[in-house]
Amino acid sequence: MTHEELEEAVPLYAAGALERTERQALEAHLLSGCVSCHTALKEFQSVAAILPFGLSSTPPPRTLKAKIMAARTPAAIAEDAPEKTEPKPSLEPGEWMNHLFPPESASSSWSFGWVLGFAAVAVVTVGAYLAWTSYTQNVTGSAAVQQLQAASEDQTKKVAALQQQLEERDRTIAQIKEELQQRTADSTELKDQLIQRDAELEDLKFQFASRGGTAPAPRGPEDELAALLRVPNAKAVSLNGSDMARQASGMLVYDARTKKAWLYAMNLPECPYGTTYQLWAINDKPVSVGTFHMDSGDTAHLLVGRVAEFSKAKKFAVSLEPSGGRPTPTGPIYLVSQS
Amino acid sequence: MDASSQHAASHIDPKLLARVVKGDHQAFSQLYDQSSTLLYTMALRILGNRDEAAELLQDVYLEVWRKVSRYDVGRGTPVAWLVTLTRSRAIDRLRSRAARGHQKSTDSLDSAQAAHVQDRNPSPFDAQADQEIRTLVGGAMAALPQAQQQALELAYYEGLSHAEIAARLNQPLGTVKTRIKLGMSKLRESLRRCWDQGDHA
Repeated sequence: MTHEELEEAVPLYAAGALERTERQALEAHLLSGCVSCHTALKEFQSVAAILPFGLSSTPPPRTLKAKIMAARTPAAIAEDAPEKTEPKPSLEPGEWMNHLFPPESASSSWSFGWVLGFAAVAVVTVGAYLAWTSYTQNVTGSAAVQQLQAASEDQTKKVAALQQQLEERDRTIAQIKEELQQRTADSTELKDQLIQRDAELEDLKFQFASRGGTAPAPRGPEDELAALLRVPNAKAVSLNGSDMARQASGMLVYDARTKKAWLYAMNLPECPYGTTYQLWAINDKPVSVGTFHMDSGDTAHLLVGRVAEFSKAKKFAVSLEPSGGRPTPTGPIYLVSQS
Repeated sequence: MDASSQHAASHIDPKLLARVVKGDHQAFSQLYDQSSTLLYTMALRILGNRDEAAELLQDVYLEVWRKVSRYDVGRGTPVAWLVTLTRSRAIDRLRSRAARGHQKSTDSLDSAQAAHVQDRNPSPFDAQADQEIRTLVGGAMAALPQAQQQALELAYYEGLSHAEIAARLNQPLGTVKTRIKLGMSKLRESLRRCWDQGDHA
């Protein structure tokens, strides 16, 4: 029923003209707290309650009052009570309000027997009301309970499934955590290695710097040397000045990949006219790597040449030869490797 | 409370019911004096038989004596509570009698007397204070179109539902519903003046 239909039913309800189901629908609506219908009902019930004033009065028999006053004794009430316990077939307009609130507690001044009688009647009356109330709600009520139970079981299953999923996720998270720790350890190790390599590199740089520390500022080739020093697995051999040139020194760096050798020579004396320095890789016999010239004022020179089998070379040496070089060393040795 | 309202059904003091709750016999006696004529008149109108009306009244007053603590002044006047209870019990009795297959033992004199709205002449049995409301309600009822008054009385005094009234009068259901609705609404409008002045109980 719409609210309009329910509102229309209010005057009929007060007049007592509604069918049982309509009455119950309106009562449910009133219990749900509709203020406008409640107000309207109060007014219409007030109208209904004074309708008997419109009847021609007829006084009751004179003897009735004495009968009623006498019947009010506790014993009479107790006798009377069982008759009153049969459930009333219906609730009439106005009575629904009595059921919105529980009866007020019985006054303590009443006699004990009276209270017992009242209590019995009250219990049965409440029972009758509950029976009346449940009359229509029973069927739909039990259906609703079953539905709710089914829904509840459904929800319980869902919760269990969710819990399982949650546990799986927890396990996955634990695994990932473990892996992450492993990776962190790996990365820490790599970092340590890197730091070590850095330190080694620094050491090499320092060694090189200490060897050539006295040299004046090198010219352009220093960049090439720096680049060469960064080549992985580059091999370096120090050369010292011989008796011919005690101030001289050299650094030979070999790159196995390109088979290139760089000689960085410092403080060699100026080549006399018609002569040149020649670098030799000495295995069983000396093999020429290349020649270079030191002009007046030069303090350092870089030679780049190819050495076929660097690892087999036991010694490196620089000698002063006639211009253009010679197939085998002929002149005095100026630089020689340490081992 | 002046002397004229001592016996007026429309002027039952809620405090009187509070005294009855405490088991005050004198208060109960006064409650009977103030209300019995109105309730008996209604019971007679519904049941159509003096003996049955008297029996019903005895049941009702004993129920009042037992259940008076249920009365809540917030839900209506004492007389409204008594009228509602009496009507409810009378209709129950009417229905159980119909269910048992008894013919309505109509006393033709009673019926003729009670079935009609009073002619608004003061009744010697009424307290002076009730005269105003009797005149008002009687007038408001008499002012209703006959069809509305009839439908309303069938519902209120005979306990018939709108469907039963429609069947009895051989009228469409909607028509009957509208008659009752209009009748109640008109009565409400007529009687609202009385409530606004606070003349009712």
